[in-house]
Amino acid sequence: MRRAQLLFPFLPLLLSSGEALSQPAAQAPADGVALLQRIYQATDKLSYSGTFVYQQGERTETSRITRLTGPGGNVERVEVLDGMPREIIRTRDVVRCYMPDTQTVKVERRTDQRAFPGMLPEQVAELSRSYVITRGDSMRIAGHDCNLVVLMPRDDLRYGYRLWSDVASGMLLKAQTFNNKGHVVEQFTFTQLAIGSVPRDQVKLRQDTKGWRIEDAAVTPVNLALAGWSVGADLPGYRKVVEVQRKFSETRPVGQVVYSDGISALSVFIEPMTGRTETVRPGLSSLGAFHIYTREVANHVITVVGEAPAASVQRVANTVEYRSPK
Amino acid sequence: MKEKISALMDGELERHEAAGMLNALVQEGESREAWRTYQLIGDAMRDTQLLSAGFAARVSARLAKEPTVLAPARIASRPLVTRWQALSAAAGVAAVALVGWVAFGPQQPGVEVAQLTPPAPVLQVAPAEVAQVAPPAAAADYLLAHQGYSPRNSLQGVAPYVRMVSSDSGLRKP
Repeated sequence: MRRAQLLFPFLPLLLSSGEALSQPAAQAPADGVALLQRIYQATDKLSYSGTFVYQQGERTETSRITRLTGPGGNVERVEVLDGMPREIIRTRDVVRCYMPDTQTVKVERRTDQRAFPGMLPEQVAELSRSYVITRGDSMRIAGHDCNLVVLMPRDDLRYGYRLWSDVASGMLLKAQTFNNKGHVVEQFTFTQLAIGSVPRDQVKLRQDTKGWRIEDAAVTPVNLALAGWSVGADLPGYRKVVEVQRKFSETRPVGQVVYSDGISALSVFIEPMTGRTETVRPGLSSLGAFHIYTREVANHVITVVGEAPAASVQRVANTVEYRSPK
Repeated sequence: MKEKISALMDGELERHEAAGMLNALVQEGESREAWRTYQLIGDAMRDTQLLSAGFAARVSARLAKEPTVLAPARIASRPLVTRWQALSAAAGVAAVALVGWVAFGPQQPGVEVAQLTPPAPVLQVAPAEVAQVAPPAAAADYLLAHQGYSPRNSLQGVAPYVRMVSSDSGLRKP
């Protein structure tokens, strides 16, 4: 616990409700906010192994997930079971994605804990400003009795969420994202889940990646305003959480600014046109719960990627301006 | 209501009916959304070059900068014109944006866009003046870079990353 407190100095704030993890089901917290807090704690603390299905539009894909927490550090591994056996392994500081089709390892390193907004306990209070958080009907999922918490957006700038969590452990078993017409745009569902310790070799990489190309994002903090960029992002409820520079495919330097309302997030990417090999297609594209909006500003490509409705993504993109710094 | 919108697009409404419809379209709502969708479908069918992003907003912004002429309104001879002049200043801007659409969206009688039901879901998502394009070639890179900072990670652990590495099939489509 001491170690955990060093890593997460805000943890004591959570502990009072954290005790809920070990409480019997009958004493499970009653209101939606408490249920939500319990999901975050379970995701942070539990070891588990299971199979989940990801659905988006016409696409359905099954993956196996294993998470091991403990003194050796937390490790998570996902392997996509359909199609190419893509693997993702996340430790505390690094995420590595192993892509067999291109024989590439994509590496993302965490530079700053605060850059991961979901880790912060203030988040739940922040969420209440943009969503009405309530309890829904209980349901049984993959053999687990689950509570439902609903995040109903207070405006059209974000999607709504339905989250089903295990009554016994708080673990998230099913998550739906829905639009303002009530249509589900994305869904995760566990079909099988075993909570409890798992052997360490289950979180080890399965593939032989000898000779694969390694693409390190080389993320560093940056101040885009000094370079002349302003990203207004006058999107109510969203605040800037991080501003970095990174590389795509080893070469292209790209500025990235991330905005979040606590559960939904948008990234603004700014990259110079010079040296680009692909042609720029200005406009909007949709991928399940994601929208991607591309436009050109001052010989740069602006790409906004958002887990948000199209209008929000466009609105942020259209605030991006460049003024030559003096 | 949707039949009427379709008829309006095809120039088949009587003048008083058209005026009523246009009045309804000034307000944001279901009718206006249907109007945009139908126009977009029509444009797509005719292979018309779409207006650039934020066109309507830019026209509105320029109009807003125009000096306001404080003169008594002339009594118009045509009912439709009277209707426009009666609009408040704010609604007026919206109305002009709408006129922009009428002016630039070529009206070809005989194109039965209203018969196209249901409209493709992807068309409903976006405001009509925005071009729908295929995801950028580097979409997977963008999505992955974004995922690192997504609050979903603390809600679901590493699971949401499958959205990025699974995207290949969806992303590679032309």
